[in-house]
Amino acid sequence: MAALISLMILISLIGAIITFLTRTREQARAVALLASGISFVISLILFLRFDSSIPTIQFAESYPWIVSLGISLKFGVDGIGMPLVLLSNIVIPLTVIFAWGETKQANQFYGLILLELVGVLGVFTSLDFFVFYIFWEIVLIPMYFLISIWGGPRKDYSAIKFFIYTHVASLVMLLAIFSLYFNAWQISGTPNFDMFYLLKNYSVIESSMLKDAIFLALLFGFLVKMPAVPFHTWLPDAHVEAPTAGSVILAALLLKMGGYGLFRVILPLLPFSGSPGELVIVMAIIGVVSILYGTFLALAQRDLKKMVAYSSISHMGYVTLGAAAIVPLSISGAMYQQFSHGLITCVLFMSCGVIQHSAGTRIIGDLGGIAKYMPKLTFLMLAGFLASLGLPGMSGFIAEFLVLVNSYFTLPNFVILALFGIVFTAGYHLWAMQRAVFGTYNEKLGHIHDGANYEMFSMAVIILFVIYFGLNPNPVLTMMTTNSEQLYTVLKGVVIP
Amino acid sequence: MNYVLLAPEILLTVLALIVIFIGLLVSDRSKNMLGYISAAGLVASLVYVLGTKGEGSFFYNALVIDPLSQFFKLIFIVVSLLAVIASIKYFENNRNQDEYYALILLATVGMMVVASANDLVSLFVGFELASMSTYVLAGFEKKNPASLEAALKYFIIGSLSSALMLFGMSLVYGVTGSTNITAIIEFFKANPAVSGLDVIAMVFLVAGFGFKMALVPFHMWAPDTYEGSPSVVSALLAAGSKKMGFVAAFRVLVLALVALRADLWVTFGILAVITMTYGNIVAISQRSIKRMLAYSSIAQAGYIALAFVVTTQMSIAGGILLALGHALMKGGAFIAVAVVGYMVLSDNKNAKNIDDIENFAGLGKRAPITAFALFVFFLALAGIPPSAGFIGKFVLFYSITIEAVRQASTWFLIVVIIAILNSALSIYYYARVIRYMYVLPPAGEKIKEPAPYVIAIVLAVIGTIGIGLYPQPFIEMAMNAANVVLGV
Repeated sequence: MAALISLMILISLIGAIITFLTRTREQARAVALLASGISFVISLILFLRFDSSIPTIQFAESYPWIVSLGISLKFGVDGIGMPLVLLSNIVIPLTVIFAWGETKQANQFYGLILLELVGVLGVFTSLDFFVFYIFWEIVLIPMYFLISIWGGPRKDYSAIKFFIYTHVASLVMLLAIFSLYFNAWQISGTPNFDMFYLLKNYSVIESSMLKDAIFLALLFGFLVKMPAVPFHTWLPDAHVEAPTAGSVILAALLLKMGGYGLFRVILPLLPFSGSPGELVIVMAIIGVVSILYGTFLALAQRDLKKMVAYSSISHMGYVTLGAAAIVPLSISGAMYQQFSHGLITCVLFMSCGVIQHSAGTRIIGDLGGIAKYMPKLTFLMLAGFLASLGLPGMSGFIAEFLVLVNSYFTLPNFVILALFGIVFTAGYHLWAMQRAVFGTYNEKLGHIHDGANYEMFSMAVIILFVIYFGLNPNPVLTMMTTNSEQLYTVLKGVVIP
Repeated sequence: MNYVLLAPEILLTVLALIVIFIGLLVSDRSKNMLGYISAAGLVASLVYVLGTKGEGSFFYNALVIDPLSQFFKLIFIVVSLLAVIASIKYFENNRNQDEYYALILLATVGMMVVASANDLVSLFVGFELASMSTYVLAGFEKKNPASLEAALKYFIIGSLSSALMLFGMSLVYGVTGSTNITAIIEFFKANPAVSGLDVIAMVFLVAGFGFKMALVPFHMWAPDTYEGSPSVVSALLAAGSKKMGFVAAFRVLVLALVALRADLWVTFGILAVITMTYGNIVAISQRSIKRMLAYSSIAQAGYIALAFVVTTQMSIAGGILLALGHALMKGGAFIAVAVVGYMVLSDNKNAKNIDDIENFAGLGKRAPITAFALFVFFLALAGIPPSAGFIGKFVLFYSITIEAVRQASTWFLIVVIIAILNSALSIYYYARVIRYMYVLPPAGEKIKEPAPYVIAIVLAVIGTIGIGLYPQPFIEMAMNAANVVLGV
C-alpha cells in the first residue's frame, strides 16, 4: 500500500486529462466526479490509517528526479498536511456536484477544477522545495482560466491581477528558497532540495540580516496567498469576478496554501531568525489588522459575495494570529481554523452563487425576503452564516476559541483587540442575512426559485461536516496538536517582547 | 585529426549543394520533395551531434569540437529542423524552394562554424556565411514589401555590426599578434596590464556581438526584421541565428575578460537589465504578435545576458540552458503564428496584418493544437514550471542570487529582483494572447491544421515540456559547456 499519495495525485491528473478530452458535458462531469471521488477515497484511507500520536512524516515516498541539482519527488504527510489533503478531497468533489449544471465549455471547466486538485494536493504533500514550488505555481494557471473564461464582467482585469500579484509573491519566495538551498549546499558540499534539510540548515547562516531577509521573503510569499492585510487587494477582485466554483476553490483551498506555508516553513525557521521576537510582533500585528480590517470592510460591503470575500480575509487573520502566539494550542487552533474555514466558506460562496443565479443580483439592498421562495437555501445559508460567525457546536467556534484563549497567554493586548472583531463579525453576518434573506419580499425580483437539488446536496453535505467537526473535533485536532506540540519544542525559546 | 567529428558540417554543406543541383533538374512541382530531403539531412546531423563523444581541434586550431560547440550545434540544428519542417507547408509549390532550402542549410552550417570557431577569422567567416544566407531568407517573399524592408534593414544593420566586430578583431590582432582565441587568451593572461587599446577592442566586440544578440541599444533591427520576414524564417532568426552572438560572446568575451581582469560586469548588468525591461515594456503595447514575440525575444536576450554578469559555472550553464529553451519556445511560437497566417489567408486571400492579435480570437476552437502549443510556449517563456524556460531561468536566477549572498552584494540582488519583476511583467502580454485564444469567441470555422506545421509545433512542445520534466541530462551538458567557457 505504498505510493498512495502519488497515486492520488496521478489519478487526479489523469482524470483532468480525460475530462479535457471528453466531448459532452455529461461525460465530462461524470469523469470529473469519478476521479475526484477516487481521490477522496484514497485520502480517506490515508486519513484512517494515519497515526495521530507521532509528529513525523507518514506515507513517505521518494523518487530521484534531477540528480545533479539534488531534486527528487518526495511526498508525505504529517499532522499539518493530512487535514488539508482531506479538506481538498472533500471540497473538490462537492464543487463538481455543485457545478453539475455547468454548460459553457464543460469539459474544460471540470478539467480545470481537477487540475486545481492536482496542484493543491501537490503543495500539501511535497517535501522537496523545488517540487513544492512547481505545484505552488501550477495552481495559478487553472484559476486564471476559471476566472477569465467563466467570470463576471471585469474578469480580465481580475484574472490578470490575481495571476501577476500572486506570481510576484511566489518569485520572491523562490529567491528565499534559492538562498536556503545555496546555504545548505555550501555547508555539505552536495546539492539537496529536501525541505526539512534546507530548513534545518537555516540556523547555520551567519549574517542575521540575511536570515531576516530570507524569513521575510518567505513570509511575504505566504502572506500574499493567505491573504493578509495589506497584501490582500487581489482577493476581493478575484472573488467577485470568479464563477462560484472558482470562488469556492480559491477561498477553501488556495488560501490554505499560505497558511500551510506558515506552519510548514515559517514557524520552524522563526527561532533561528535574526530577531524572532520582533518578527512575532510583526506577524501578530498583521493577523489582528487582518481580522479587524477584514471585518470592517465586510460590514461596509453592498455586494454579498464581496462581503464573504472580506470575511475570508478576517478569518484567515486568526490563522496568522494563532501561529504568531506560539502556544501549542493556539497553533493547533490556527491549523483547525484553516480546516474549518475551508469548509464553512464553501457554503457561503455557494449561497452567493445560488442567489445570483436565481435572483440575478447579489447586491444586498436589491434582495430582501427571498426566504419566502427559497426555504431550502435559507436554511443552509443560515447554518453557514452561523458557523461563520462562530456559533458553538460548529467547527468555526472550536478554532476561534482555541486561538483566542490560548493566544491570550503570550499576546494579551492583541487578543483584546481581536475580540472587538468578533462583535462586528456577528454583526455583519446577521445584518446581511436580515436585509437580504428575511424581511418583506422585494417584489421587483419577480418570481424566483429555490436552488437546484445538486446545489442543495453539496451545501448540505458540507454543513454536516461542519457540524460533525464542531461536535467531534478530535480526529483532526489530535493530529494537529501532536504536530503543534512538536513545533513548540523548537519554538519555546522565543521571547516575545 | 579525426575529421569524422566534422561530419555534420560536411554533410549539410554537401546536402546544400545537392539540393541546388536537384533543383536545376526537376520540375517546379517536384521541388516539394527538397524539404523532406533537407529535413532528413538535418535529422542525420542531429543524431550525429548527439551521438558523437569526443573532442578535437582542426585546421591549426581554427575550429574546435568541445561540449560548448556541441551544445550550441544542437540548438542550431533543432531550430533549423523545426523551420524546415514548417517550411514544407509554408513554401509548398513555391518554385524557388531549392534556393530556400539550400540557404537554410548553409545558414545552419555558418552557425555551426561559429559554435566551433576558435579563431577570430573562422568566427567571422561563420558569422558572414550565416548572415548572408539569412539576409536573403528574410526577403524571400519577394512580393511582400514588409519582407523586403525586413531584409534590407537586417542587411544594413548586419553589415554595420560585422564591420564593428571586424574592427574589434583587428585591434585584438594588433595588440596580441594572433587571431587564435587560445593564443589571445594566453597573451592576455601573460600581460594583464590593460593598455587601453584592448579595452577599446573589447568594446567593439561587445557592440558587434550585441547587434547579433539584439541587446538594447543594438536591437533596433530585430522587431522590424522578425515582423516582416516569413514566419518560418523569423523562427530561424529569433530562435537560431541570434544565439550565434551568445556562443561567440561566451567563447571570446568571457575568457578574455577573465584574463584581462577587466570588471565589465557593471556594463553587462546594465545592458541586461535595460534589455529585459525595455523588451518587456514595449512588448505590452504590441498588436502584431510577431512584433510582440520579437520584443519578448529581446527581453529573453536580456535574461541570457545575465550570465555575463556573474560568470560562474552555474550562471553560464543557466544562460546556455535558457538559450536552448528559448530556441524551442520561440521557434515553436513563430511557427504557430505561421499556422494562424495560413488560417487567416484561407479565410480571405487578401487579408492584411495577418498576425494581428484579433486573428487569435477563439484560436482554441479554430486550431486547437496550435492554440494549446502557443499556450505552452507562452507560459514557458514567462518562466512557469515545468518547462525549459523555467529550468533555464531557475538556474540563471539562482546563480546570481548565490553570488549576491556569497559576495554580500546588494547590486546583484537588485539585478535579480529586477529580472524577477520582469518575468512577472511578461505574464501580462502573454496572458493577453492566451485570453484571446481561449476566452473570446472564434471569428470563423474550425480549420484543419496542416500536418507539417503540426509536426514542427508538437516537436517543439515535447522539447519544451520534456526539458522541464527531465532536465538532468541537459543541465549536465550545460555545466560541461560552461566549464569550457571558463577554461576549466
